[in-house]
Amino acid sequence: MNQSQVLLATQGVAKAYGPVVALRGVDMTVRRGEIHALLGANGAGKSTLVKILAGVQPADAGKVYVEGRVVQFHTPADAIAAGIATVFQDPALIPDLTVAHNLRLSRIDNAKFHAWLERFGLGKLDLGALVRELPLETLRIVDLARAAARDPHVLLLDEITAALTADQAERVFDLLAEWRAQGKSAVLITHRLAEVMRICDQATILRDGRNVAELVTAEVDEHQLVEAMLGASVEPMLKTTQDAAATRRFGETALEVRGLADRHHVRGVSFAVRSGEILGLVALEGQGQDRLFDLLSGARRPVAGEILVAGKPCRFHSPYDAVRRGVVLVPGDRLIALLPNQSVHHNLALPLFNHLRRWLRIPADERPRVQRAIERLSIDVRAASQVRRLSGGNQQKVVLGRWLVSGFRTLLCFDPTRGIDIQTKREIYALLRELAAQGAAIVLYTSELAEIGLVCDRALVMHDGRIVDEQDAATATESSLLKAAHGLEVGV
Amino acid sequence: MAFSVAMRNPALRILFRNSWALGVWLLLGALVLWYSTLIPVFGPFQITSITKNSLPLVYLAIGQAIIVISGGIDLSLGALLLLSNVIAARFMAGQPLPTVVLIALGIVAGLALLNALVGFVITLSGVPDIVVTLATGYIWSGLALWILPSPGGGTAPEMRWLFTGSPSGVGGSYWPPLLMLLIPGALVAIWSRTTRVGLSLYAVGSNKTAAQLAGLDVRRAKIVAYGIGGAMAGLAGLAMVALTGTGDPRFAIGANATLNSVAAVVLGGVALTGGVGNVFGVVATGVTLIMLNPILIAMRVDSNNAQVIQGVLIAGVMMFGGLVAFLRERRS
Repeated sequence: MNQSQVLLATQGVAKAYGPVVALRGVDMTVRRGEIHALLGANGAGKSTLVKILAGVQPADAGKVYVEGRVVQFHTPADAIAAGIATVFQDPALIPDLTVAHNLRLSRIDNAKFHAWLERFGLGKLDLGALVRELPLETLRIVDLARAAARDPHVLLLDEITAALTADQAERVFDLLAEWRAQGKSAVLITHRLAEVMRICDQATILRDGRNVAELVTAEVDEHQLVEAMLGASVEPMLKTTQDAAATRRFGETALEVRGLADRHHVRGVSFAVRSGEILGLVALEGQGQDRLFDLLSGARRPVAGEILVAGKPCRFHSPYDAVRRGVVLVPGDRLIALLPNQSVHHNLALPLFNHLRRWLRIPADERPRVQRAIERLSIDVRAASQVRRLSGGNQQKVVLGRWLVSGFRTLLCFDPTRGIDIQTKREIYALLRELAAQGAAIVLYTSELAEIGLVCDRALVMHDGRIVDEQDAATATESSLLKAAHGLEVGV
Repeated sequence: MAFSVAMRNPALRILFRNSWALGVWLLLGALVLWYSTLIPVFGPFQITSITKNSLPLVYLAIGQAIIVISGGIDLSLGALLLLSNVIAARFMAGQPLPTVVLIALGIVAGLALLNALVGFVITLSGVPDIVVTLATGYIWSGLALWILPSPGGGTAPEMRWLFTGSPSGVGGSYWPPLLMLLIPGALVAIWSRTTRVGLSLYAVGSNKTAAQLAGLDVRRAKIVAYGIGGAMAGLAGLAMVALTGTGDPRFAIGANATLNSVAAVVLGGVALTGGVGNVFGVVATGVTLIMLNPILIAMRVDSNNAQVIQGVLIAGVMMFGGLVAFLRERRS
């Protein structure tokens, strides 16, 4: 291989956080004019590698080369200076400052930034707006445009398409294609394998902190990528819905809402979910689904309509009221649900602290209950002393597991598998089906349409604050759901 | 809808974003008006008196505001004020003007460096700001006692003129103290919102991780903030000597001043969590807190009750602000 073709390389990069070894030695080579996919299940070490390449954390061992020279990054500023610009999963923008202030802080050329914004269809963005006032997908584009305006050699994109609309994702792919044509490179971290097949040239696959495969994407298919990530031949996706649907029995109505509305975002939503049923909810970004979940979980109060739990009208003044009635939430952002510096055990046992008698002593059954939840969810407890050290998938399991420990009747799940690897996704699907079989009612909002067919019994489609369609999960297709989600009439 | 249209107008938006600062200036204006009806004569003498008496607290509050905005808090500012106060009182009296100026500049610059060093220690050690500055506060207080064991010393007439408007400290023009009140406040306020370093203080206080990921030097921001805090405490000490004519090393004066500076910062709309707020508002609330005394005297309220009223005012203003924010949130 011609050395001058290599833009960014790592050699034996290793990193441990206390007892948890995140990276055991990663060799990765990114050539000039290459879109390079970095793949791996959750906990494989992708995020750690990104942090090292972006200068957020130093490596314990190993070397990083940029254009053949060994570099050492002490701060993110060093990485930027070396020509590596990173777009992190959480936008690195200051919420209390305006977009214009953020640009000044990063010494970004306004004209260049604006040119990029225009390419992403955000040319009319008000730069005087506070970052906290802007929606997440806009912020990700702003962050990306800022990174691009730095004229880096390498763009590191961590789950860039996760919060973007399909149209915006297309524009990002166009940018990457052009980037490649100019002899620059990009490293793409993503869970969407279709994207990898479409735009990436090479893929480095991490497993357990090592690079286990370097593949040319043109020579493999998605199945081989998954196999390389999981390390074993995988059986085809479970078609649980179709297989078991005939045997499913639904019980009484567990949760019903009638004409539920808030001031702007939810405009009269009615539906019912029965125990044993998984009700899917599909919507494009920003159709009021997050507010609907806020209303259902007691985080906000509705201005109209009613919520009935087991047939009885209830007023939720806070999530406490909802939890008391057995309506529990797994929020979209798992970090808001967790106590990041506390142990797995403490996080799982948290709902139990509500009972007054537990103020005095820790009940004898707490430990076994928590232990059962850990085993049932197969939570990786190597880093159990602090939840923030767990991988995203394991954190999500802790959020779910908390309600297994405390017990519940209706589970509200807001996109529980976002940013989670396939293995954990499957475990979560199986768990949801199992819970439903045991009599739980589940409302599942998902941004991944395939999940409707995989786990749900019925799907509601939300558009502009209203339920616009209902489809049987067994017959719903991604295209029929997508059409309805865009507010289009669905032909029968 | 009308609201979002208004937000498109840059001037209206600036007003709206600074509505808290605007509100506390209006509150101060209302208090001054009310005070003027309480006393038989309201004239230049009262204006001078209010402004000069406010100077130490306003300076300290500006320094505290900058530190709080950058995500810290400084419990040693009052002690730094004592340090400045006793050095000035001990070395300035009877000196020719150039020496006086040199000492004044030396105190301000020296305390800026000293507190910047404290900021450096905080970033280096990772010990929380409140702990480190609590400790340094005791050290500076002890040092002040060492320099001037008991109240005494003197000041220079030029300093008195600058901070009180008259070389003797009695009467005089209200322009010097008024300008000494407004100019440093305006300078720091504008600097903090328009320069890169100033904005980086807001950035670090608002979201330290995001600031770091964006490539900012988080340490430098903190050190700069503490340096400004030290300089403002130096100014506050100089103003204090000019006001009283003597130096006073008593611990309680410093401790009190620190608490008042935090009160002014909170009242002025600076969030203790950092990243939010404006130095403009803090200038008004610093004066407001000082205004309470003459108002209570004019109302013939027992001065022992002054603290109760100050506490009620802080709680009342903060709850009113919270209520306004809540109603606004509900409307949107």
